[in-house]
Amino acid sequence: MARLRIEITKGEEIRYISHLDYARAIERSIRRAKLPAAYSEGFNPHMKLAFASALGVGVVSDSEYADIELKEDMNLQEVISSLKSKLPQGVVLKRGKYIPSESTALMAVVNLAVYNIIVPLLNGAECTDVQQGALLFNRAEEVIYIRESPKGRREINVREFVKEVKISQADGMITLEFSTQITPKGTVKPSEVLAALVNNFSLPADRDNALINRIGLYVIDQKGVRLTPLELS
Amino acid sequence: MDNVEPRVGHPTKLVMSLGRILVIFSAINVEVNMVVFDPAILSRVTKPARYTGNEVNSIKKDHSQVDVTVALALPDVYEVGMSNLGLKIIYQILNNRPDTAAERVYTPWVDMEAEMRSYNIPLHTLESKTPVCNFDIFGFSLQYEMIYTNVLNMLDLAGIPLIACDRNENHPLVIAGGPSVFNPEPVADFFDCFVIGEGEEVIEEVVEVVAGWKKSNKEGGRQGLLKRLAGLNGIYVPSLYQVTYNDDGSVAKVSPTCPEASPAVTKRVIKDLNEVEFATKPVMPYLDIVHDRMMLELFRGCTRGCRFCQAGVIYRPVRERRPEKLLELTQQLVDNTGYNEISLTSLSSADYSHLSEVVTSLITRFKSQGVSVSLPSLRIDSFSIDLAEKVQQVRKSGLTFAPEAGTQRMRDVINKGVTEQDLENAVGAAFKSGWSTVKLYFMIGLPTETDEDIEGIAKLAYKVLDLYKAVKGRRGAKVTVSVSSFVPKAHTSFQWFGQNSTAEIERKQRLLKEKLRDRSISFSYHDARTSFLEGVFSRGDRRLSQVLLAAWQNGAKFDGWSEHFKFDIWMEAFKNTGLDPHFYTNRERSQSEVLPWEHISCGVDKAFLMREYDNAVAATDTVDCRREACSACGVCPGLGVEVLDWGVK
Repeated sequence: MARLRIEITKGEEIRYISHLDYARAIERSIRRAKLPAAYSEGFNPHMKLAFASALGVGVVSDSEYADIELKEDMNLQEVISSLKSKLPQGVVLKRGKYIPSESTALMAVVNLAVYNIIVPLLNGAECTDVQQGALLFNRAEEVIYIRESPKGRREINVREFVKEVKISQADGMITLEFSTQITPKGTVKPSEVLAALVNNFSLPADRDNALINRIGLYVIDQKGVRLTPLELS
Repeated sequence: MDNVEPRVGHPTKLVMSLGRILVIFSAINVEVNMVVFDPAILSRVTKPARYTGNEVNSIKKDHSQVDVTVALALPDVYEVGMSNLGLKIIYQILNNRPDTAAERVYTPWVDMEAEMRSYNIPLHTLESKTPVCNFDIFGFSLQYEMIYTNVLNMLDLAGIPLIACDRNENHPLVIAGGPSVFNPEPVADFFDCFVIGEGEEVIEEVVEVVAGWKKSNKEGGRQGLLKRLAGLNGIYVPSLYQVTYNDDGSVAKVSPTCPEASPAVTKRVIKDLNEVEFATKPVMPYLDIVHDRMMLELFRGCTRGCRFCQAGVIYRPVRERRPEKLLELTQQLVDNTGYNEISLTSLSSADYSHLSEVVTSLITRFKSQGVSVSLPSLRIDSFSIDLAEKVQQVRKSGLTFAPEAGTQRMRDVINKGVTEQDLENAVGAAFKSGWSTVKLYFMIGLPTETDEDIEGIAKLAYKVLDLYKAVKGRRGAKVTVSVSSFVPKAHTSFQWFGQNSTAEIERKQRLLKEKLRDRSISFSYHDARTSFLEGVFSRGDRRLSQVLLAAWQNGAKFDGWSEHFKFDIWMEAFKNTGLDPHFYTNRERSQSEVLPWEHISCGVDKAFLMREYDNAVAATDTVDCRREACSACGVCPGLGVEVLDWGVK
């Protein structure tokens, strides 16, 4: 038994696929690469493949992480090169390494996601409106976003998960950068942060045309040290 | 090169505010149009991955480097279109040719269609995002009649004139294949030509004709191309035929109007399936599609001879792939797809001569690669149960059987070839092996049917419940009775039969519903009005093109999807065009009548179908020629092919 941790991307080519679609595509790549993947026991065996955090439809990522359990040891370079050659367009394998098999699950350790959003400025909007929106957001004690789902309406305080939003602007496009904390209580989606900025602080952004990119997933400890899941242990 | 000449749908016309068209000029000054959806559109529609492509095994070629470009369409939503095996095969065959680029396009779902119409975004392919109007060939697979309006919708979204004779030499050649083209007449006005029968070989001939015509500087214009195509075996160019009608509305004569068109077009058939390309490198969808697994075609054709079944006639004769060929194809599929399930797809997979051997080899060879096997259709016999047990070693999900009719007399009429005892043995074996959920398929509205036959369906369902109790000593079986309404199809021995009226079908459905009042039985049935309309187009003639056009203009689309089916629009369309739908469905036709599809031949003699109709009325059986005596249907001598079965005859 061996546990492999990989860092992969989700590129523009597959921006609009869901997390489930993405996971299935990686699983099929592993089978095409003929890696000796381990399967769960039971009626309906599943490949032992686990991701750090789900990525929404319409969101791309520079750094996603997945753990793959292998039935037997295999040379790392060999694993990486076979998998690389079988990945779909838009998925690049950046790094990979074997980790101790007792390592805590990715889902349980990753607690910070960093996003970058590029969104068109609304026609006729002032530069000062943009800066003002961010300033007010960063100063607010509480920013309420109402999440509506088939399960019902829920109020979320966006500030609980987002410390600061950085904003810049050039050529009619606004660039936002922020981190969201992933806590046992949950987290906030990047599209929800943008919605809160537009709805609560009048950020003059054409939010339907926003392009969201997750630029990193991290494990942040009590001292505030930020590590990627590959730098752990 | 032809590519440099201006084409319909010139980019300047396509510039828009939200949906963007990128115009890229390559080094040799060939223009390439690429449609790009704005993020706002893709975030608004359901399942945007239906429209974004980039799937594994999809093939993008530089259009300036090929002679012929083909847009392959199935006029239904992505998840349905991507599940079609025939198109996967054609896609692979065409893209294997260095001179051809084949790409895919499916019907945008209604939400995306609304976006495309409001921002003037043309229909385009998934691979290169090129507008379909820029392709040389726009090919449709017609799998069932209820998607015809989607063809019109797609042509319209592509900016291509709907009526074939309104197109000029710069428009794509609009063609169709698939089972529905065995009666192409109701859609004759919309297509330039039809490919009758199996497409593996003829599609390459079509491409070569188009390439040659382009190289000849489009000699003779569009008409010149159509005449060249009409010279190919299996190609039917409807505009080269004239149809005359009798006073009573029936067809008097269908005659060719030029020497290139032959009086009858006979289907194409592959003699040996081991020798042709198979879809071993299918495009891998990201979305969960209808048939999201490897598909392995064991054989083509079925000669069980069920008299209602069109597939059992038009795909004759039976031709099996060799067991070793099947294992070789499976290995390629596993290597190229990464799927974990393989489905054995044939008209009745359990009839494959070496089925047990092949299934055992598949299980032992591919289990370690995480691959499981599934059998979609089961025969009603205990052999099938043994096999089902082999493939589903742990999961005991439901088993499906198709007795088709409720009484032995009725099953003899349709030549189903199974007895009540067969069903009891099979279901009994299934219950003993641990299954408890059984689905039973039936049809109502069959020739000679009486209420006793309808009640027989209910009796059979109760019998299955009792059988479970007898085997297990307690109640606990779940039986689903699924009943469809019989629609007579062209080229079958029931092609002359007057379909039951909607009122009669609904009466029979009510009768059955009253009889099936047990909580362990669930009953499902089809909308009688959908079957009625399907019946009209299954056996209709050329004049129905006007009805399709009128219905589409009034908003008919996705008619096979119950939530989009608008019966009133259809009735209005019949009224406005002065055509009586009952003339096509409910009228018993005389055997001497010229049928609208009589100039399209699948190789089976009309005399055989007539004999079979008499046998049906007499409830006499006809044996399967696969391993027993030949019933002289005429297909083997007519097409110069023979049955290929690796078992003992």
